[in-house]
Amino acid sequence: MALLEVHDIHAGYGKMEILKGVSLRVETGQVVSIIGPNGAGKSTVFKTLFGLLPVRQGHVRFAGEDVTNEPPAALLGRGLAYVPQGRNVFPLMTVEENLRLGAYIRPRSAELDREVERVYDTFPMLREARRKRAADLSGGQQQMLEMGRALLLRPRLMLLDEPTLGLAPRVFREIFRIIEDLRRLGQTILMVEQNAAKALEISDYAYVLELGLNRFEGSGEAIRNDERIRRLYLGR
Amino acid sequence: MTDFIQLLVAGISIGSIYAMTAIGFVLLWQTSNTINFAQGEFVVLPAFAMVLFLTVFRWPFAAALLATVLVSTLLLGFLVKEVLVARLLEAGVLPLVIATIGLSLLIRYSLQYFWTPLALPFPPVFSRVPIRLGTIVLSWEELMNVLLVGIVIGALQLFITRTKLGWAMQAVAQNRTLATVLGIDVSRLVTLTFVLNAALAAVAAILIAPVYLVKYDIGIGLGLKAFYAAIIGGFNQIRGALLGGLLVGVVETLAAAYLSSQFRDAFALVILIAVLLLKPEGIWGVKEEWSS
Ligand SMILES: Nc1ncnc2c1ncn2[C@@H]1O[C@H](COP(=O)(O)OP(=O)(O)OP(=O)(O)O)[C@@H](O)[C@H]1O
Ligand SMILES: [Mg+2]
Repeated sequence: MALLEVHDIHAGYGKMEILKGVSLRVETGQVVSIIGPNGAGKSTVFKTLFGLLPVRQGHVRFAGEDVTNEPPAALLGRGLAYVPQGRNVFPLMTVEENLRLGAYIRPRSAELDREVERVYDTFPMLREARRKRAADLSGGQQQMLEMGRALLLRPRLMLLDEPTLGLAPRVFREIFRIIEDLRRLGQTILMVEQNAAKALEISDYAYVLELGLNRFEGSGEAIRNDERIRRLYLGR
Repeated sequence: MTDFIQLLVAGISIGSIYAMTAIGFVLLWQTSNTINFAQGEFVVLPAFAMVLFLTVFRWPFAAALLATVLVSTLLLGFLVKEVLVARLLEAGVLPLVIATIGLSLLIRYSLQYFWTPLALPFPPVFSRVPIRLGTIVLSWEELMNVLLVGIVIGALQLFITRTKLGWAMQAVAQNRTLATVLGIDVSRLVTLTFVLNAALAAVAAILIAPVYLVKYDIGIGLGLKAFYAAIIGGFNQIRGALLGGLLVGVVETLAAAYLSSQFRDAFALVILIAVLLLKPEGIWGVKEEWSS
Protein backbone atom coordinates (compact mmCIF):
# COMPACT_ATOMS: atom_id res chain seq x y z
CA MET A 1 0.00 0.00 0.00
CA ALA A 2 1.34 3.38 -0.98
CA LEU A 3 1.76 6.03 1.72
CA LEU A 4 0.38 8.71 -0.57
CA GLU A 5 -1.89 8.05 -3.48
CA VAL A 6 -3.14 10.91 -5.59
CA HIS A 7 -5.70 9.84 -8.12
CA ASP A 8 -6.65 12.04 -11.05
CA ILE A 9 -7.02 15.30 -9.13
CA HIS A 10 -8.40 18.47 -10.65
CA ALA A 11 -7.91 21.82 -8.96
CA GLY A 12 -7.25 25.49 -9.68
CA TYR A 13 -7.82 29.09 -8.72
CA GLY A 14 -11.26 30.63 -9.18
CA LYS A 15 -12.58 29.75 -12.62
CA MET A 16 -9.16 28.70 -13.81
CA GLU A 17 -8.47 24.99 -13.75
CA ILE A 18 -4.74 24.36 -13.40
CA LEU A 19 -4.57 20.66 -12.55
CA LYS A 20 -6.48 18.66 -15.11
CA GLY A 21 -5.96 15.18 -13.76
CA VAL A 22 -2.74 14.52 -11.87
CA SER A 23 -1.90 11.15 -10.33
CA LEU A 24 1.02 10.27 -8.07
CA ARG A 25 2.15 7.54 -5.71
CA VAL A 26 4.71 7.71 -2.95
CA GLU A 27 5.79 4.59 -1.05
CA THR A 28 7.11 4.77 2.50
CA GLY A 29 10.85 5.42 2.53
CA GLN A 30 10.99 6.80 -1.00
CA VAL A 31 12.17 10.13 -2.28
CA VAL A 32 9.91 11.10 -5.17
CA SER A 33 10.38 14.16 -7.38
CA ILE A 34 7.97 16.14 -9.47
CA ILE A 35 9.62 18.00 -12.32
CA GLY A 36 8.26 20.14 -15.09
CA PRO A 37 8.49 23.61 -16.61
CA ASN A 38 7.53 26.80 -14.81
CA GLY A 39 3.78 27.07 -14.42
CA ALA A 40 3.23 23.34 -14.95
CA GLY A 41 1.26 23.24 -11.70
CA LYS A 42 3.83 21.61 -9.41
CA SER A 43 3.23 23.97 -6.50
CA THR A 44 -0.48 23.74 -7.15
CA VAL A 45 -0.27 19.98 -6.63
CA PHE A 46 1.24 20.56 -3.20
CA LYS A 47 -1.27 23.22 -2.23
CA THR A 48 -4.10 20.93 -3.26
CA LEU A 49 -2.66 17.90 -1.46
CA PHE A 50 -2.25 19.94 1.66
CA GLY A 51 -5.81 21.22 1.73
CA LEU A 52 -5.06 24.83 0.80
CA LEU A 53 -6.98 24.50 -2.46
CA PRO A 54 -10.11 22.39 -2.93
CA VAL A 55 -9.90 19.14 -4.87
CA ARG A 56 -12.60 19.51 -7.52
CA GLN A 57 -12.42 16.00 -8.82
CA GLY A 58 -10.39 12.91 -7.98
CA HIS A 59 -9.13 11.86 -4.57
CA VAL A 60 -6.16 11.79 -2.24
CA ARG A 61 -5.38 8.83 0.03
CA PHE A 62 -2.83 9.01 2.81
CA ALA A 63 -1.76 5.89 4.73
CA GLY A 64 -4.74 4.02 3.35
CA GLU A 65 -7.35 6.60 4.30
CA ASP A 66 -9.25 9.01 2.12
CA VAL A 67 -8.05 12.51 3.05
CA THR A 68 -9.48 14.41 0.09
CA ASN A 69 -10.20 18.03 1.06
CA GLU A 70 -9.14 17.64 4.66
CA PRO A 71 -7.90 20.94 6.12
CA PRO A 72 -4.16 21.45 6.79
CA ALA A 73 -4.51 21.01 10.56
CA ALA A 74 -5.99 17.53 10.09
CA LEU A 75 -3.33 16.52 7.58
CA LEU A 76 -0.58 17.71 9.90
CA GLY A 77 -2.09 15.49 12.55
CA ARG A 78 -1.84 12.55 10.17
CA GLY A 79 1.84 13.16 9.59
CA LEU A 80 2.00 15.29 6.47
CA ALA A 81 4.34 18.30 6.63
CA TYR A 82 4.67 20.95 3.96
CA VAL A 83 7.49 23.36 3.22
CA PRO A 84 6.04 25.82 0.69
CA GLN A 85 7.93 27.43 -2.16
CA GLY A 86 9.58 30.75 -1.36
CA ARG A 87 10.65 32.10 1.97
CA ASN A 88 8.10 31.30 4.65
CA VAL A 89 9.04 32.38 8.13
CA PHE A 90 7.62 34.60 10.87
CA PRO A 91 9.98 37.51 10.24
CA LEU A 92 9.84 39.21 13.63
CA MET A 93 10.23 36.04 15.66
CA THR A 94 13.50 34.42 16.55
CA VAL A 95 14.74 31.21 14.99
CA GLU A 96 13.83 29.28 18.11
CA GLU A 97 10.33 30.77 18.22
CA ASN A 98 9.84 29.93 14.56
CA LEU A 99 10.87 26.34 15.19
CA ARG A 100 8.51 25.99 18.12
CA LEU A 101 5.62 27.41 16.15
CA GLY A 102 6.35 24.69 13.60
CA ALA A 103 5.34 22.23 16.27
CA TYR A 104 2.18 24.21 17.07
CA ILE A 105 -0.07 21.16 16.85
CA ARG A 106 2.12 19.22 19.30
CA PRO A 107 1.80 19.83 23.03
CA ARG A 108 4.84 21.21 24.83
CA SER A 109 6.95 18.41 26.24
CA ALA A 110 10.47 17.46 27.23
CA GLU A 111 10.54 15.28 24.14
CA LEU A 112 9.86 18.28 21.95
CA ASP A 113 12.74 20.13 23.63
CA ARG A 114 15.05 17.23 22.76
CA GLU A 115 13.85 17.26 19.19
CA VAL A 116 14.51 20.98 18.92
CA GLU A 117 18.06 20.18 20.02
CA ARG A 118 18.24 17.46 17.39
CA VAL A 119 17.18 19.95 14.72
CA TYR A 120 20.05 22.17 15.87
CA ASP A 121 22.37 19.16 15.52
CA THR A 122 21.19 18.69 11.96
CA PHE A 123 21.51 22.41 11.21
CA PRO A 124 24.34 23.82 13.36
CA MET A 125 23.93 27.15 11.57
CA LEU A 126 20.52 27.48 13.18
CA ARG A 127 21.87 26.87 16.65
CA GLU A 128 24.24 29.81 16.26
CA ALA A 129 21.38 31.95 15.05
CA ARG A 130 18.75 30.76 17.49
CA ARG A 131 18.22 34.19 19.06
CA LYS A 132 18.27 36.07 15.77
CA ARG A 133 15.12 37.32 14.14
CA ALA A 134 14.17 35.19 11.15
CA ALA A 135 14.07 38.32 8.98
CA ASP A 136 17.81 38.74 9.54
CA LEU A 137 18.73 35.26 8.27
CA SER A 138 20.24 34.58 4.88
CA GLY A 139 18.15 32.77 2.29
CA GLY A 140 19.92 29.48 3.00
CA GLN A 141 19.44 29.80 6.74
CA GLN A 142 15.78 30.51 6.23
CA GLN A 143 15.40 27.42 4.10
CA MET A 144 17.09 25.35 6.78
CA LEU A 145 14.79 26.87 9.36
CA GLU A 146 11.83 25.82 7.27
CA MET A 147 13.08 22.28 6.89
CA GLY A 148 13.91 22.02 10.60
CA ARG A 149 10.47 23.31 11.42
CA ALA A 150 8.88 20.58 9.32
CA LEU A 151 11.07 17.90 10.90
CA LEU A 152 9.76 18.83 14.34
CA LEU A 153 6.45 17.35 13.26
CA ARG A 154 8.14 13.96 12.77
CA PRO A 155 6.31 13.75 9.47
CA ARG A 156 5.56 10.47 7.73
CA LEU A 157 5.77 12.43 4.50
CA MET A 158 7.51 15.72 3.87
CA LEU A 159 6.44 17.91 0.96
CA LEU A 160 9.36 20.09 -0.14
CA ASP A 161 8.65 22.75 -2.76
CA GLU A 162 11.80 24.15 -4.38
CA PRO A 163 14.08 23.96 -1.34
CA THR A 164 17.09 25.44 -3.14
CA LEU A 165 15.48 28.18 -5.20
CA GLY A 166 17.77 31.18 -5.43
CA LEU A 167 20.49 29.82 -3.15
CA ALA A 168 24.25 30.11 -3.63
CA PRO A 169 26.02 26.93 -4.82
CA ARG A 170 27.59 26.24 -1.44
CA VAL A 171 24.22 26.41 0.36
CA PHE A 172 22.64 24.43 -2.44
CA ARG A 173 25.07 21.55 -1.81
CA GLU A 174 24.46 21.78 1.92
CA ILE A 175 20.70 21.49 1.49
CA PHE A 176 21.09 18.51 -0.80
CA ARG A 177 23.46 16.84 1.63
CA ILE A 178 20.76 17.20 4.30
CA ILE A 179 18.05 15.82 2.03
CA GLU A 180 20.27 12.81 1.32
CA ASP A 181 20.90 12.34 5.05
CA LEU A 182 17.16 12.45 5.71
CA ARG A 183 16.64 9.92 3.00
CA ARG A 184 19.20 7.57 4.53
CA LEU A 185 17.37 7.90 7.84
CA GLY A 186 14.24 6.68 6.09
CA GLN A 187 12.40 10.00 5.75
CA THR A 188 9.81 9.84 2.98
CA ILE A 189 9.94 12.94 0.79
CA LEU A 190 7.94 14.26 -2.13
CA MET A 191 9.73 17.21 -3.64
CA VAL A 192 9.80 19.74 -6.43
CA GLU A 193 13.24 21.01 -7.33
CA GLN A 194 14.35 23.46 -9.99
CA ASN A 195 17.63 21.63 -10.40
CA ALA A 196 15.90 18.58 -11.85
CA ALA A 197 19.09 16.72 -12.75
CA LYS A 198 20.33 16.85 -9.18
CA ALA A 199 16.91 15.94 -7.76
CA LEU A 200 16.61 12.93 -10.05
CA GLU A 201 19.98 11.67 -8.85
CA ILE A 202 18.60 11.11 -5.39
CA SER A 203 15.03 10.19 -6.35
CA ASP A 204 13.61 6.69 -6.31
CA TYR A 205 10.86 7.74 -8.63
CA ALA A 206 9.87 10.84 -10.56
CA TYR A 207 6.91 12.38 -12.35
CA VAL A 208 7.09 14.88 -15.15
CA LEU A 209 4.20 17.33 -15.15
CA GLU A 210 3.19 19.58 -17.99
CA LEU A 211 0.23 21.96 -18.19
CA GLY A 212 -1.42 20.32 -15.22
CA LEU A 213 -1.17 16.79 -16.60
CA ASN A 214 1.10 13.79 -16.02
CA ARG A 215 3.50 13.62 -18.95
CA PHE A 216 6.10 10.98 -18.07
CA GLU A 217 7.01 8.94 -15.06
CA GLY A 218 9.65 6.42 -14.09
CA SER A 219 12.54 5.72 -11.79
CA GLY A 220 14.84 8.66 -11.11
CA GLU A 221 17.48 7.12 -13.26
CA ALA A 222 15.20 6.26 -16.16
CA ILE A 223 13.85 9.80 -16.27
CA ARG A 224 17.34 11.25 -16.00
CA ASN A 225 18.53 9.18 -18.94
CA ASP A 226 15.46 9.66 -21.10
CA GLU A 227 16.52 11.49 -24.24
CA ARG A 228 13.28 13.49 -24.69
CA ILE A 229 13.24 14.62 -21.07
CA ARG A 230 16.88 15.62 -21.22
CA ARG A 231 16.19 17.82 -24.16
CA LEU A 232 12.95 19.27 -22.81
CA TYR A 233 13.60 19.78 -19.12
CA LEU A 234 17.16 19.14 -18.19
CA GLY A 235 18.55 21.60 -20.69
CA ARG A 236 21.18 19.28 -22.07
CA MET B 1 5.50 73.90 37.13
CA THR B 2 2.50 72.79 39.16
CA ASP B 3 0.29 73.45 36.18
CA PHE B 4 2.57 71.54 33.95
CA ILE B 5 2.54 68.42 36.12
CA GLN B 6 -1.21 68.51 36.45
CA LEU B 7 -1.62 68.88 32.72
CA LEU B 8 0.89 66.13 32.11
CA VAL B 9 -1.06 63.72 34.29
CA ALA B 10 -4.31 64.72 32.61
CA GLY B 11 -2.66 64.16 29.23
CA ILE B 12 -1.34 60.75 30.19
CA SER B 13 -4.75 59.85 31.52
CA ILE B 14 -6.64 60.69 28.33
CA GLY B 15 -3.73 59.37 26.28
CA SER B 16 -3.90 55.99 27.97
CA ILE B 17 -7.49 55.67 26.83
CA TYR B 18 -6.50 56.62 23.28
CA ALA B 19 -3.72 54.06 23.55
CA MET B 20 -6.07 51.28 24.56
CA THR B 21 -8.35 52.09 21.64
CA ALA B 22 -5.37 52.25 19.30
CA ILE B 23 -4.02 48.90 20.46
CA GLY B 24 -7.28 47.16 19.63
CA PHE B 25 -7.18 48.87 16.28
CA VAL B 26 -3.66 47.62 15.61
CA LEU B 27 -4.52 44.07 16.71
CA LEU B 28 -7.39 43.99 14.22
CA TRP B 29 -5.15 45.22 11.47
CA GLN B 30 -2.45 42.70 12.27
CA THR B 31 -4.50 39.55 12.47
CA SER B 32 -7.30 40.29 10.04
CA ASN B 33 -6.12 43.16 7.83
CA THR B 34 -9.14 45.11 8.98
CA ILE B 35 -8.63 48.87 9.16
CA ASN B 36 -11.51 49.51 11.47
CA PHE B 37 -12.93 52.93 10.73
CA ALA B 38 -15.70 52.13 13.19
CA GLN B 39 -13.25 51.95 16.09
CA GLY B 40 -14.66 55.17 17.61
CA GLU B 41 -18.20 53.81 17.45
CA PHE B 42 -16.90 50.56 18.96
CA VAL B 43 -16.25 52.71 22.05
CA VAL B 44 -19.46 54.75 21.80
CA LEU B 45 -21.79 51.76 21.64
CA PRO B 46 -20.62 50.23 24.94
CA ALA B 47 -20.75 53.71 26.51
CA PHE B 48 -24.45 53.88 25.62
CA ALA B 49 -24.90 50.31 26.85
CA MET B 50 -23.35 51.33 30.14
CA VAL B 51 -25.75 54.28 30.42
CA LEU B 52 -28.64 51.93 29.71
CA PHE B 53 -27.68 49.41 32.38
CA LEU B 54 -26.56 51.93 34.95
CA THR B 55 -29.02 54.81 34.76
CA VAL B 56 -32.04 53.36 32.96
CA PHE B 57 -32.10 49.85 34.43
CA ARG B 58 -30.41 51.05 37.63
CA TRP B 59 -28.23 47.97 37.90
CA PRO B 60 -25.32 48.00 40.34
CA PHE B 61 -22.06 49.16 38.82
CA ALA B 62 -20.38 45.74 38.65
CA ALA B 63 -23.36 44.12 36.96
CA ALA B 64 -23.61 46.97 34.47
CA LEU B 65 -19.92 46.72 33.71
CA LEU B 66 -20.11 42.98 33.13
CA ALA B 67 -23.19 43.32 30.94
CA THR B 68 -21.51 46.07 28.92
CA VAL B 69 -18.41 43.99 28.24
CA LEU B 70 -20.66 41.05 27.33
CA VAL B 71 -22.82 43.09 24.92
CA SER B 72 -19.72 44.63 23.38
CA THR B 73 -17.90 41.34 22.82
CA LEU B 74 -21.01 39.66 21.43
CA LEU B 75 -22.09 42.46 19.07
CA LEU B 76 -18.79 44.08 18.13
CA GLY B 77 -16.72 40.93 18.55
CA PHE B 78 -18.53 37.81 17.38
CA LEU B 79 -21.29 39.32 15.30
CA VAL B 80 -19.14 41.76 13.34
CA LYS B 81 -16.56 39.06 12.71
CA GLU B 82 -19.07 36.46 11.54
CA VAL B 83 -21.34 38.73 9.53
CA LEU B 84 -18.91 41.21 7.99
CA VAL B 85 -15.33 40.11 8.28
CA ALA B 86 -15.67 36.39 7.64
CA ARG B 87 -17.31 37.15 4.30
CA LEU B 88 -15.14 40.03 3.18
CA LEU B 89 -11.70 38.96 4.37
CA GLU B 90 -11.03 37.00 1.18
CA ALA B 91 -11.80 40.02 -0.97
CA GLY B 92 -8.87 42.06 0.36
CA VAL B 93 -8.45 45.23 2.39
CA LEU B 94 -10.67 47.72 0.58
CA PRO B 95 -14.12 46.07 0.85
CA LEU B 96 -13.55 45.67 4.57
CA VAL B 97 -12.54 49.31 4.96
CA ILE B 98 -15.72 50.39 3.23
CA ALA B 99 -17.77 47.98 5.33
CA THR B 100 -16.35 49.43 8.55
CA ILE B 101 -17.10 52.97 7.38
CA GLY B 102 -20.66 51.81 6.75
CA LEU B 103 -20.79 50.19 10.15
CA SER B 104 -19.59 53.36 11.86
CA LEU B 105 -22.34 55.41 10.20
CA LEU B 106 -24.92 52.78 11.07
CA ILE B 107 -23.99 52.74 14.75
CA ARG B 108 -23.56 56.51 15.03
CA TYR B 109 -26.83 57.55 13.44
CA SER B 110 -28.86 54.69 14.88
CA LEU B 111 -27.89 55.92 18.33
CA GLN B 112 -28.83 59.47 17.37
CA TYR B 113 -32.13 58.52 15.76
CA PHE B 114 -33.38 55.75 18.02
CA TRP B 115 -31.96 56.98 21.30
CA THR B 116 -30.98 60.62 21.58
CA PRO B 117 -29.07 63.35 19.79
CA LEU B 118 -28.24 64.86 23.19
CA ALA B 119 -25.26 64.30 25.42
CA LEU B 120 -26.07 61.98 28.29
CA PRO B 121 -24.36 62.56 31.59
CA PHE B 122 -22.40 59.65 32.92
CA PRO B 123 -22.09 59.06 36.65
CA PRO B 124 -18.49 59.38 37.83
CA VAL B 125 -16.87 56.01 38.25
CA PHE B 126 -14.32 57.17 40.79
CA SER B 127 -14.43 59.55 43.73
CA ARG B 128 -14.47 63.22 42.76
CA VAL B 129 -12.55 64.22 45.87
CA PRO B 130 -9.28 65.72 44.61
CA ILE B 131 -5.91 64.41 45.71
CA ARG B 132 -3.51 67.07 46.93
CA LEU B 133 0.23 66.55 46.78
CA GLY B 134 1.59 69.85 48.05
CA THR B 135 0.36 72.37 45.52
CA ILE B 136 -0.42 69.77 42.89
CA VAL B 137 -4.05 68.75 42.57
CA LEU B 138 -4.86 65.48 40.82
CA SER B 139 -8.08 63.53 40.45
CA TRP B 140 -8.78 59.91 41.27
CA GLU B 141 -10.24 59.59 37.84
CA GLU B 142 -6.97 60.47 36.15
CA LEU B 143 -4.88 58.19 38.31
CA MET B 144 -7.28 55.27 38.11
CA ASN B 145 -7.54 55.61 34.33
CA VAL B 146 -3.81 55.23 34.02
CA LEU B 147 -3.70 52.37 36.51
CA LEU B 148 -6.57 50.45 34.91
CA VAL B 149 -5.27 50.90 31.40
CA GLY B 150 -1.85 49.80 32.64
CA ILE B 151 -3.31 46.62 34.09
CA VAL B 152 -5.36 45.85 30.98
CA ILE B 153 -2.44 46.43 28.59
CA GLY B 154 -0.08 44.48 30.86
CA ALA B 155 -2.47 41.54 30.91
CA LEU B 156 -2.86 41.72 27.15
CA GLN B 157 0.89 41.81 26.67
CA LEU B 158 1.30 38.76 28.91
CA PHE B 159 -1.39 36.94 26.99
CA ILE B 160 0.24 37.71 23.65
CA THR B 161 3.80 36.86 24.64
CA ARG B 162 3.31 34.07 27.20
CA THR B 163 0.47 31.88 25.98
CA LYS B 164 0.29 29.54 23.05
CA LEU B 165 -2.82 31.28 21.77
CA GLY B 166 -1.02 34.62 21.98
CA TRP B 167 1.87 33.22 19.99
CA ALA B 168 -0.57 31.94 17.42
CA MET B 169 -2.02 35.44 17.19
CA GLN B 170 1.42 36.90 16.49
CA ALA B 171 2.00 34.17 13.95
CA VAL B 172 -1.18 35.04 12.07
CA ALA B 173 -0.19 38.71 12.17
CA GLN B 174 3.23 38.03 10.67
CA ASN B 175 2.41 35.44 8.05
CA ARG B 176 -1.16 34.30 7.63
CA THR B 177 -0.50 31.62 4.99
CA LEU B 178 2.31 30.07 6.98
CA ALA B 179 0.11 30.05 10.09
CA THR B 180 -2.45 28.00 8.18
CA VAL B 181 0.23 25.65 6.91
CA LEU B 182 1.32 25.01 10.50
CA GLY B 183 -2.19 24.06 11.55
CA ILE B 184 -3.17 27.31 13.28
CA ASP B 185 -6.91 27.99 13.03
CA VAL B 186 -6.69 31.46 11.53
CA SER B 187 -10.42 32.10 11.51
CA ARG B 188 -10.69 31.32 15.23
CA LEU B 189 -7.85 33.72 15.98
CA VAL B 190 -9.49 36.47 13.98
CA THR B 191 -12.61 35.96 16.10
CA LEU B 192 -10.51 36.08 19.24
CA THR B 193 -8.95 39.35 18.11
CA PHE B 194 -12.33 40.92 17.46
CA VAL B 195 -13.50 39.82 20.88
CA LEU B 196 -10.38 41.22 22.53
CA ASN B 197 -10.79 44.49 20.67
CA ALA B 198 -14.43 44.73 21.71
CA ALA B 199 -13.44 44.14 25.33
CA LEU B 200 -10.74 46.83 25.15
CA ALA B 201 -13.27 49.20 23.59
CA ALA B 202 -15.76 48.52 26.37
CA VAL B 203 -13.17 49.35 29.04
CA ALA B 204 -12.18 52.48 27.10
CA ALA B 205 -15.86 53.44 26.93
CA ILE B 206 -16.32 53.27 30.68
CA LEU B 207 -13.21 55.32 31.31
CA ILE B 208 -13.85 57.97 28.71
CA ALA B 209 -17.59 58.43 29.29
CA PRO B 210 -17.20 60.57 32.43
CA VAL B 211 -14.68 62.80 30.60
CA TYR B 212 -16.51 63.36 27.33
CA LEU B 213 -20.15 62.70 28.26
CA VAL B 214 -21.97 60.13 26.19
CA LYS B 215 -23.05 61.45 22.82
CA TYR B 216 -23.66 59.64 19.56
CA ASP B 217 -20.90 61.48 17.70
CA ILE B 218 -17.94 61.39 20.11
CA GLY B 219 -16.68 58.35 18.23
CA ILE B 220 -15.59 60.50 15.29
CA GLY B 221 -12.82 62.25 17.18
CA LEU B 222 -11.95 59.23 19.26
CA GLY B 223 -11.67 56.89 16.29
CA LEU B 224 -9.48 59.39 14.46
CA LYS B 225 -7.17 59.80 17.44
CA ALA B 226 -6.79 56.05 17.81
CA PHE B 227 -6.00 55.92 14.11
CA TYR B 228 -3.41 58.71 14.41
CA ALA B 229 -1.93 57.07 17.50
CA ALA B 230 -1.53 53.78 15.65
CA ILE B 231 0.19 55.47 12.71
CA ILE B 232 2.39 57.65 14.90
CA GLY B 233 3.63 54.69 16.92
CA GLY B 234 3.98 52.33 13.99
CA PHE B 235 0.94 50.51 12.74
CA ASN B 236 2.25 47.04 13.41
CA GLN B 237 3.37 47.26 17.00
CA ILE B 238 1.43 47.21 20.24
CA ARG B 239 4.02 49.25 22.07
CA GLY B 240 3.92 51.68 19.17
CA ALA B 241 0.20 52.22 19.62
CA LEU B 242 0.77 52.69 23.34
CA LEU B 243 3.41 55.32 22.74
CA GLY B 244 1.34 56.98 20.03
CA GLY B 245 -1.75 57.16 22.24
CA LEU B 246 0.15 58.68 25.16
CA LEU B 247 1.88 61.14 22.87
CA VAL B 248 -1.38 62.32 21.34
CA GLY B 249 -2.99 62.67 24.78
CA VAL B 250 -0.12 64.60 26.33
CA VAL B 251 0.57 66.87 23.39
CA GLU B 252 -3.05 67.83 22.83
CA THR B 253 -3.59 68.54 26.54
CA LEU B 254 -0.46 70.66 26.88
CA ALA B 255 -1.04 72.44 23.61
CA ALA B 256 -4.66 73.17 24.46
CA ALA B 257 -3.55 74.80 27.71
CA TYR B 258 -0.49 76.69 26.50
CA LEU B 259 -1.21 77.36 22.84
CA SER B 260 -4.84 77.25 21.90
CA SER B 261 -7.74 75.26 23.25
CA GLN B 262 -9.71 75.94 20.09
CA PHE B 263 -7.34 73.81 18.08
CA ARG B 264 -7.09 71.05 20.64
CA ASP B 265 -8.07 68.37 18.15
CA ALA B 266 -5.66 69.60 15.50
CA PHE B 267 -2.50 68.86 17.45
CA ALA B 268 -2.77 65.11 17.01
CA LEU B 269 -2.79 65.80 13.30
CA VAL B 270 0.31 67.97 13.60
CA ILE B 271 2.25 65.16 15.29
CA LEU B 272 0.93 62.73 12.72
CA ILE B 273 2.21 64.83 9.83
CA ALA B 274 5.54 65.39 11.54
CA VAL B 275 6.02 61.65 12.07
CA LEU B 276 4.94 60.81 8.54
CA LEU B 277 7.49 63.25 7.18
CA LEU B 278 10.36 62.16 9.41
CA LYS B 279 9.73 58.44 9.83
CA PRO B 280 6.90 57.19 7.64
CA GLU B 281 6.81 53.71 9.19
CA GLY B 282 6.01 55.25 12.60
CA ILE B 283 8.22 55.78 15.61
CA TRP B 284 8.46 52.09 16.43
CA GLY B 285 7.20 50.69 13.20
CA VAL B 286 8.86 48.10 11.03
CA LYS B 287 8.80 48.56 7.29
CA GLU B 288 6.37 46.08 5.85
CA GLU B 289 8.54 44.89 3.00
CA TRP B 290 8.26 41.48 4.60
CA SER B 291 4.57 40.82 4.38
CA SER B 292 4.15 37.90 2.01
N1 LIG C 1 -2.71 32.17 -6.42
C1 LIG C 1 -2.88 31.98 -7.72
N2 LIG C 1 -3.94 32.53 -8.35
C2 LIG C 1 -4.13 32.34 -9.68
N3 LIG C 1 -3.33 31.62 -10.46
C3 LIG C 1 -2.26 31.05 -9.90
C4 LIG C 1 -1.97 31.20 -8.50
N4 LIG C 1 -0.84 30.52 -8.23
C5 LIG C 1 -0.44 29.97 -9.39
N5 LIG C 1 -1.28 30.28 -10.39
C6 LIG C 1 -1.17 29.83 -11.80
O1 LIG C 1 -1.23 28.43 -11.82
C7 LIG C 1 -0.31 27.92 -12.75
C8 LIG C 1 0.57 26.89 -12.08
O2 LIG C 1 1.30 27.52 -11.04
P1 LIG C 1 2.27 26.73 -10.08
O3 LIG C 1 2.76 27.69 -9.10
O4 LIG C 1 1.58 25.51 -9.60
O5 LIG C 1 3.41 26.31 -11.07
P2 LIG C 1 4.80 25.61 -10.77
O6 LIG C 1 4.84 24.40 -11.62
O7 LIG C 1 4.99 25.44 -9.32
O8 LIG C 1 5.80 26.67 -11.36
P3 LIG C 1 7.15 27.29 -10.78
O9 LIG C 1 8.26 26.44 -11.33
O10 LIG C 1 7.17 28.66 -11.36
O11 LIG C 1 7.07 27.27 -9.29
C9 LIG C 1 0.46 29.10 -13.32
O12 LIG C 1 -0.11 29.39 -14.56
C10 LIG C 1 0.19 30.20 -12.37
O13 LIG C 1 0.13 31.43 -13.02
MG1 LIG D 1 6.20 26.18 -7.93
